[in-house]
Amino acid sequence: MRPLKVLIVAALSVGSLAAQNVEFFESTIRPVLAEKCVMCHSSSLDTPMGGLRLDSQEGMLTGGASGPVLVAGDPDNSLIVEALTYKDAALKMPPTGKLSDAVIADFRTWIQQGAVDPRTEQTSAAGPSAKPKQNGPGTPIAEGRKWWAFQPLHEVLAPQPQRQGWSQRKIDPFVLAKLEENGLEPSPEADKRTLIRRAYQDLIGLPPSYEEVEAFANDSAPDAYEKLVDGLLASPRYGERWGRHWLDVARWAEDHPTREATNQPHPFAWRYRDWVIEAFNKDIPYDQFIRMQFAADLLPGFKPDDMRALGYIGNSPMYHKDARISRDVTETLASDEWDERLDAVSRGLLGMTVACARCHDHKFDPITNKDYYAMAGVFASLPLVKRPIVEIDPARADKLVWDYERLVRHKGQLGNLGEPDTIADQVHPIVAKMREDVKTLEEELGKDPTPMTHAVIDAGIWIDGNTPTVTWIDVRPGQPRDLPIFIRGNVANTGEIVPRRFLEVFSEGEPEPYKQGAGRLELADNIVGRAGPLAARVWVNRVWGHHFGTYIVGTPSDFGTQGHRPTHPELLDDLAARFVENGWSLKWLHKEIMLSATYMQFSQMREDADTADPTNQWMWRLTPRRLDVEAWRDSVIQASGELDLYAGGPSEDATGEVSRRTVYSQIRRSGLNPMLQLYDFPDASQHQPERQETTTPLQQLFVMNSSWMERQAASLTALDQGIADGAARIEAMYRRTFSRDATQKEIDLGLAFLKRRQAEIGREPWEEYAQVLLGSNELIYFH
Amino acid sequence: MLSPTIGSAEATPIGPHFAPKAKHVIFLFMTGGPSHMDMFDPKPALLKYQGQRPDSVDLRTERMTGGLLPSPFEFKKHGQSGTEVSELLPQLAGTVDDMCVIRSMYTFNPTHTPARNLIHSGNIASTRPTLGAWLSYGLGSENENLPGFVVLSPGTRGGSLWRSGFLPAEHQGTHFNNNEVDPEKMIRYLRNTHLDAKAQREQLDLLGAINQQHHDAIGQDAFLDARIQAMETAYRMQFEALDVFDVRNEPESIREEYGATPFANGCLLARRLVEQGVRYTHVYYGPGQPWDDHKDLNNNLRGRCPDMDRASAALLRDLKRRGLLDETLVVWGGEFGRTPVSEAGDGRDHNPYGFTMWMAGGGVKGGITHGATDEFGFQAVENRVSIHDLHATILNQVGFDHTRLTYRYAGRDFRLTDVEGIVVKELLA
Repeated sequence: MRPLKVLIVAALSVGSLAAQNVEFFESTIRPVLAEKCVMCHSSSLDTPMGGLRLDSQEGMLTGGASGPVLVAGDPDNSLIVEALTYKDAALKMPPTGKLSDAVIADFRTWIQQGAVDPRTEQTSAAGPSAKPKQNGPGTPIAEGRKWWAFQPLHEVLAPQPQRQGWSQRKIDPFVLAKLEENGLEPSPEADKRTLIRRAYQDLIGLPPSYEEVEAFANDSAPDAYEKLVDGLLASPRYGERWGRHWLDVARWAEDHPTREATNQPHPFAWRYRDWVIEAFNKDIPYDQFIRMQFAADLLPGFKPDDMRALGYIGNSPMYHKDARISRDVTETLASDEWDERLDAVSRGLLGMTVACARCHDHKFDPITNKDYYAMAGVFASLPLVKRPIVEIDPARADKLVWDYERLVRHKGQLGNLGEPDTIADQVHPIVAKMREDVKTLEEELGKDPTPMTHAVIDAGIWIDGNTPTVTWIDVRPGQPRDLPIFIRGNVANTGEIVPRRFLEVFSEGEPEPYKQGAGRLELADNIVGRAGPLAARVWVNRVWGHHFGTYIVGTPSDFGTQGHRPTHPELLDDLAARFVENGWSLKWLHKEIMLSATYMQFSQMREDADTADPTNQWMWRLTPRRLDVEAWRDSVIQASGELDLYAGGPSEDATGEVSRRTVYSQIRRSGLNPMLQLYDFPDASQHQPERQETTTPLQQLFVMNSSWMERQAASLTALDQGIADGAARIEAMYRRTFSRDATQKEIDLGLAFLKRRQAEIGREPWEEYAQVLLGSNELIYFH
Repeated sequence: MLSPTIGSAEATPIGPHFAPKAKHVIFLFMTGGPSHMDMFDPKPALLKYQGQRPDSVDLRTERMTGGLLPSPFEFKKHGQSGTEVSELLPQLAGTVDDMCVIRSMYTFNPTHTPARNLIHSGNIASTRPTLGAWLSYGLGSENENLPGFVVLSPGTRGGSLWRSGFLPAEHQGTHFNNNEVDPEKMIRYLRNTHLDAKAQREQLDLLGAINQQHHDAIGQDAFLDARIQAMETAYRMQFEALDVFDVRNEPESIREEYGATPFANGCLLARRLVEQGVRYTHVYYGPGQPWDDHKDLNNNLRGRCPDMDRASAALLRDLKRRGLLDETLVVWGGEFGRTPVSEAGDGRDHNPYGFTMWMAGGGVKGGITHGATDEFGFQAVENRVSIHDLHATILNQVGFDHTRLTYRYAGRDFRLTDVEGIVVKELLA
């Protein structure tokens, strides 16, 4: 269409009427454009509004986000006339006030006569936005299908490094070959005391006891280490450690970034957390683990308490949607929610930045704007609801779900309309009816004992702006919603409707639309099926990162063209292929990694290697690092004897009176516990690719001065108060805190401190001493 | 993955793109949306059409509104510039020649949380990095013992407004509760409740020695060194912060000039922090959203303005006396303005279409008013300034091209101004 129009105008503009028409443009149209339009629509701006430039003929013909603004000779079909006449509520220009009828008539005349416009593009002033609109994603789909991360998985023949006898598992020759290629040598194997501490912290996030360390150090059986790893993998503590890593990917939390009428906290969010922990302990195959989180209730063998798995999307962040704000604003907020979910899923599970394609085709990766809305439609068809986790009559279950849904939605929306009998009720009889409904529901549901969990269910979400002053959210059970393309992400400017489906790059040709409900099971099947090789690579890379502190792909949530390339591509492929062959078993993967010579290396610094490879990307040692806040806090409360291993159930404050494992601490998006926040706990309002690891003075103020640390120090002190001899008591405290014997020097340091302080305050300050041990580097260090 | 950092500043900040006019920013945030027509934007037509509802004011707002509500406050011209402010602001009336009053601000959302997110982070969702975090990321800190981004807010809620989003966590705002005057109560964990400085010194010496033993056994390690350093910094910070954050160290005359309310202490502290090299200080007026005057506008503003007026003006005068105003950009405003039409008879509803903010110092022109709203003060119509424009202008003053201050996240380069924003050159000296 567009080139044709250009031709028409070009022909007219050289025609015989040209001179006359130029004069008309210069005297009547140009001044109006200059005065009323170009302040927002000019190529001199970095970002002209709506991408529209009205300061040259080319700009006018190219148009902006809504397409060309004029059809020469046809004012009735010219967008600019429609905008000027203020007929379309969504498109009134200029926004500062309607122009006079006379001016609008001039525009009609001008367009009728061929829209002659002598202005040429000011190329020098034209910014990047003045470039012709890009068509198609940065990497075309056909080419994108060849991208390394999307290729089928197959085992890779291990290379033959020169050095003999080092390798233990198949990982090792891959690593060793790269080390040799880069002129590096691996580090020697760590001693047994280091290994056991490493294995404990890594797999269960707690240090071993002194006795466990000694027993292991003295166990000369060749399979002692393998047995140790097996034992830890079988411990219920394992799921508490690795489940937490998953909760990071799932950006799990128990409330929303803000707390208002329509986004109240989720009281049963802990049920999803508990399900995740159990799933890790049971080693549910990763592909099944993913399927369950989208569609546990639709899978064969479903048990009612599997419903908890739906908390992955069911506990997503929600934004407040006040009933008094306009339809467009509410739809924007809703589409932001869908966007966040799509982003968490696509980056978290696939390492794909699909959300980049919300406003246009992806600038770099083979993802189209259509792909985005095809996938977003799934989330526009999945409201967050409560569902029962016990066996009850299906009809009753259904009623419960929708009663709860209506109660929460109506209550939230009424929450901002003021007290009963105010204006809102008089204007909208429906409001009074809703109030009645809420009252009845509260009464009924208050009596219902059925345990519920936060989940999703298939129902399309529409925003109803038909009532002039109130915007309702309309949820239609069983009726999924295909979204239109929101042009440039603008909900008020819709394009073609896109059926719900998966990303095109993962299928031959156009993918078939989803048919079952929202399409959540189909989406999950696609993620671990068609995109399975990618999903396996992404997950294997995350697991690798937790074990080693560095990743094979340094951007764990971006496997696209803008992400890092793998340092060891064959290793990643081989490991991911074997992971899938071994039934997507995470416990298999842990063992494969932890029994490798690569993993068992010492972590000590070696100047030569560090100069050549300061980030340790070739893995010449195990990267030492700070423990994350969960492992550190749990280590402190284990040393102080406070650790309560009671598992599951509602959460507590991380620095409160109850000392359960940190995985059971309250996680809030609206205000995180300060200890967690200080120690880089991720913001769960959106997907975070990995944890930051900072070392700041504010963390140390916590160690030095918080009442929580003081309480732990007091508990540690109390444990050995029966030991009269100072040196013996210090030794006992070292065993508790560091699972090792104190050196003579360390005993001397302690005794000297106690003596000096005794001289000053008249008693031995054991609490002060205990706090130093708990605050020491050794307890927060992983190596 | 291991990136130890000392202090709160990133080891290698981006640094400015060009010579900055301002080295510090103080944002005085009027949570709730202060009424521009009663303070900075006189609208005599409101009286003329009192109670009426012409077509041009039939804009959708959050709540039901009635007819036009005239301002109960008298406006006069002040200073050499003749900038008009209302009788509510007798002190700021004396500093108008240093102020650049922007009467044509507009925003995109009529509800508090999204609008507040937008002005703090350039986006209506509660996820993006905030302005202070961007500045900390871009500029780092001048003082290793203090954070680069300080938040002074009475009460503790609102953490998401000083989030670092996808920027490294060290750039998040550090919150101090300026409801308190005693620094020990303002800063979490700042002081040990039972050990004196000497006892704590001995404790830290023992910790240092024990860490050294561990260090000797482990060998060289950047993290271990960094944590030992951070522990020492924390020890010093306790005393430095005790001093810096204690407004009671100020002469009586200065404290009297600012006043004794939490906001006054916030303003005074902001000046002290500028002197210590803190890059960005965000001072909230009150907990909750005090400027949200849906009803009883007259009494509410008469009650609240004296405190705000006195402290804000004192801050400008004090900075100027010390020669710090030139290098400190002070920004004043809320998430939106209020409607010229009444709510509940004597209040005003939220107004995202037009409102007033002002800036002073830091290389902006003093004694000007920029832009205009329509005859009733509902919509910005002349020289409109968006929130993105405001952000672009603030970044420009501290030496950044807002289109180039970017952070690669989730596959693309993000900006505070997203794909919008134009530096408002007319405001610049």
